[in-house]
Amino acid sequence: MKLRRGLLIIGLLTPGLGLILALIGTVVYIAVSQSFGYYSLNGTNEFSTEFWSKMAGRKAFKRSIQYSIYIGVFSAIFSVALAYPLAIWLRKPFAGSNFIGAVLKAPLLVHGLVAAFLFINVISYHGILNQFMQWLGIWSEPRRLQNDPNAYGVLILQTWKNMPFALLLLTGAVQSISDDVLDAARDLGAGTWDRFRRIIAPLTVSGMQAAMVIIFIGAVADFSFQVIAGPTNKQSLSQLMVSFKGRGDWHSAAVVGVSLMMIALVGSAILAVVARMVMRGRIK
Amino acid sequence: MVAIKIERLTKKFGDFTALSNVSLDVQPEEFVTLLGPSGCGKTTLLKLISGFLEPSEGSIKIGGTDVTHVPPEKRDTALCFQSYALFPHLTVRENLEFGPRQKKIPASERKTRIDDVSEKLDLTAQMEKLPNQLSGGQQQRVSLGRALAMRPSVILFDEPLSNLDAKLRDQVRIEIRRIQKEYGLTAIYVTHDQAEALAMSDRIVVLNNGRVEQVDSPELLYHAPKTKFVADFIGDANIFSGTIVGQKGENIVQVETAIGTIEFETPTAPTSKKVNLCWRPESAVIGNTGIKAKVVHRAFQGHFTDLMVETNGTIFRVQAKRVEAQEGDDVQLSVAPNEVILLDQSA
Amino acid sequence: MTVQRVNKILLIALLAVCAIWLIIPFTMAVLWSLVDPSEPWTADKVLPPVMSLFRWTDMWENSSLKSALIASYTLAPSAAILSLLLALPTSFALGRISFLGRELAKMLCLLPLVVPPFITAIFFTSLLFQIGLSSWRPGAILFAHSVLFMPFAIRILTVSFEQVRQDHIDAARDLGASHWARFKVAYLPALKPGIFATLLIVFIQSIEEFAIAFIVGSPDVVTIPTLLYSALGQDYVRPNAAVLSLILVVPNVLLMLILERLLRSANPTLSSGKG
Ligand SMILES: Nc1ncnc2c1ncn2[C@@H]1O[C@H](COP(=O)(O)OP(=O)(O)OP(=O)(O)O)[C@@H](O)[C@H]1O
Ligand SMILES: [Mg+2]
Repeated sequence: MKLRRGLLIIGLLTPGLGLILALIGTVVYIAVSQSFGYYSLNGTNEFSTEFWSKMAGRKAFKRSIQYSIYIGVFSAIFSVALAYPLAIWLRKPFAGSNFIGAVLKAPLLVHGLVAAFLFINVISYHGILNQFMQWLGIWSEPRRLQNDPNAYGVLILQTWKNMPFALLLLTGAVQSISDDVLDAARDLGAGTWDRFRRIIAPLTVSGMQAAMVIIFIGAVADFSFQVIAGPTNKQSLSQLMVSFKGRGDWHSAAVVGVSLMMIALVGSAILAVVARMVMRGRIK
Repeated sequence: MVAIKIERLTKKFGDFTALSNVSLDVQPEEFVTLLGPSGCGKTTLLKLISGFLEPSEGSIKIGGTDVTHVPPEKRDTALCFQSYALFPHLTVRENLEFGPRQKKIPASERKTRIDDVSEKLDLTAQMEKLPNQLSGGQQQRVSLGRALAMRPSVILFDEPLSNLDAKLRDQVRIEIRRIQKEYGLTAIYVTHDQAEALAMSDRIVVLNNGRVEQVDSPELLYHAPKTKFVADFIGDANIFSGTIVGQKGENIVQVETAIGTIEFETPTAPTSKKVNLCWRPESAVIGNTGIKAKVVHRAFQGHFTDLMVETNGTIFRVQAKRVEAQEGDDVQLSVAPNEVILLDQSA
Repeated sequence: MTVQRVNKILLIALLAVCAIWLIIPFTMAVLWSLVDPSEPWTADKVLPPVMSLFRWTDMWENSSLKSALIASYTLAPSAAILSLLLALPTSFALGRISFLGRELAKMLCLLPLVVPPFITAIFFTSLLFQIGLSSWRPGAILFAHSVLFMPFAIRILTVSFEQVRQDHIDAARDLGASHWARFKVAYLPALKPGIFATLLIVFIQSIEEFAIAFIVGSPDVVTIPTLLYSALGQDYVRPNAAVLSLILVVPNVLLMLILERLLRSANPTLSSGKG
């Protein structure tokens, strides 16, 4: 009886969870193996750390790591920092709040590539922003804003695309705090900032962590925003990986891929812990 | 000096007037209860005093300073919420410490306050628990303790006992009163339970439809209600309107009502002929004189018997000890003139 | 009063920002898509000098847009249905059977969301090479999409299965209903909104998906996102890119609106037990 039940459950899980585990498991397994020299497409198939050591020596690789972490961390921070005040503001419904919510969440519907195009269209050399600034007389001639070296363009796009997602998670969390609890804090002398730090932040920390981690993982692995709007002298890890693969150098691509996965994992763990520490607000 | 001075306070929500022209003085260390039916504006008044709402008109002074436009976090009041509103992520100790910390009270002083409060409220064993690990009564006491740890000059309660069972309610009621006296706090207490109000208060403010009906001690409210509403809302009352038909002696006036002639005592004769009278069911004496009535319903209540009687088609209530009359019997009853209360004409 | 005023000011400020955030970019895109090739839109003119639908018809007739549309709009519904079918048994187990490690299983179902898409894409291609299926591109993309978007399907359907009421099942059984009849009266009504939501979400995700389609599909299979990518990259012609962007956005907005309706209408029926 027990055995039958177990088999039934496993049988039920196989087409769904089973396939997921099989696909992701194989993908990760192949990536790791290839980074150590296995599964070569052209003959040799033996363990070697050569690809790792070669990659570690590459300047471009280090710069990619730094750059991807920079994009990931700041995209996550900006999105959440922007979403928090909006979520608190929209906590209680008021005339027009539904409409604002809808407008704010609109970027969820716009594909990232489309967003990138729209953005470039606005900031391009003869774009409306340049014309506007010239018309105002602030700039005397058009400036080159596209592919800026600090990747502000990529950060703006990431924030634009991800803020609604953070807003979605945080609105839910903030709305579940009762009015009375916030009023009680107020009555006990907590001003706006203290109410945020001591009550709202600790009570919404798990929603915020989820938003941070998911946005971080997405942004650290960014490819399309980087290619279209990012600085031309830097490469993101995904971009680097794709270019290795394009050259048929699977092993190097695997090294980059595994590094990227580890950065995503370790980075999100660190972000989650830091977020918790900053937001805890517990009185020791 | 008065602790709280409320002058001609009016609060409108759009077109709806929740409170109109409310004035009230509360003395230091006084325990004042706001009593009234649901929706009469009790919570609104409390929120105005604590600062969560701004009045449309009028002013509020606490301890002599005008606080009408001061935000709640800057007022020296502490509110006990009906829903407790404990901070779910903080332990009992952290909840109690929240207010004093916001006030930047030094750690040693804070500790003495918390120890004092937790001991008085019997919370010492619960200090490291989170609110969701406490029973309802314990949460209630934490909420009370959190307000008390502020040592506010004014403490406000919004129906704090409504979520407790009857026995615990009695216990906490006594506790609240004891602590209020011990700390010398000025308290405003909201309830719609008239028994609770009568039992606890120094004075009671009866509200109806956003207006003050009467402010008096429990005894006066019960024995000398000014309006029909108060007479009816507090205790049971037989209310009749009638016409003055004559005078007996120096200050006894005779009134003709639906059940016959009733006499009442008054130092100054009323100006109009039409009057409203009321008397309490227990004021009636069953005997061989007075109004004739038929018993339509009888309920033995232990220390008294509750009778519904009928005269000329009007039904009213009489309560007395040791009643022999059964349902359907005829009785005679009289009410002493000094037990009959003259109500305001307007109502 | 003051709070209302603050809200009003904030609202106006926010709407201004939204205009910059949404209206200006889209207006620009629409204008660019209408630029007639006979005369270029230079910086000194507020509006394009000659406007026509030429770019739209041109893109339609002389680019891979048609085949991309066909590819995307056959791939997406197939992936949605396949994903739904694969997810149903797992969701049933997670939603209606309690077993050791159920929470772990629920967590593991989210794995595809955590692994960066380009990693999955590249090493899935590598896998295809290893097992010699590298020419089987459309099938591979379909398979990858169905599995990678299954977390959404499993999540939604698990909740739906949890909401099936045991008393309805029992009542049906009590009245002697067969397996199929039981499914029809007890499960189906509660599952319906979840099934629709799953189909729509996987559909939208698949239409939008870029990494897999780009890496696994190139060069034979072109979907709308990969087409847009190349229009933004190698052969960047701004008016053409504008046309493609608009084509990619419109169905999304419509589908999302349907989805929102659906999710809103789904809840009350479930909670009132009408299902
Ligand atoms: N924010 C508001 N907007 C509009 N009307 C309100 C608002 N707050 C309260 N009211 C109205 O004001 C009146 C008084 O409300 P209040 O909460 O003070 O009643 P209450 O006496 O505390 O009643 P209860 O005993 O039921 O708690 C009610 O009719 C209520 O509907
Ligand atoms: Mg109330």
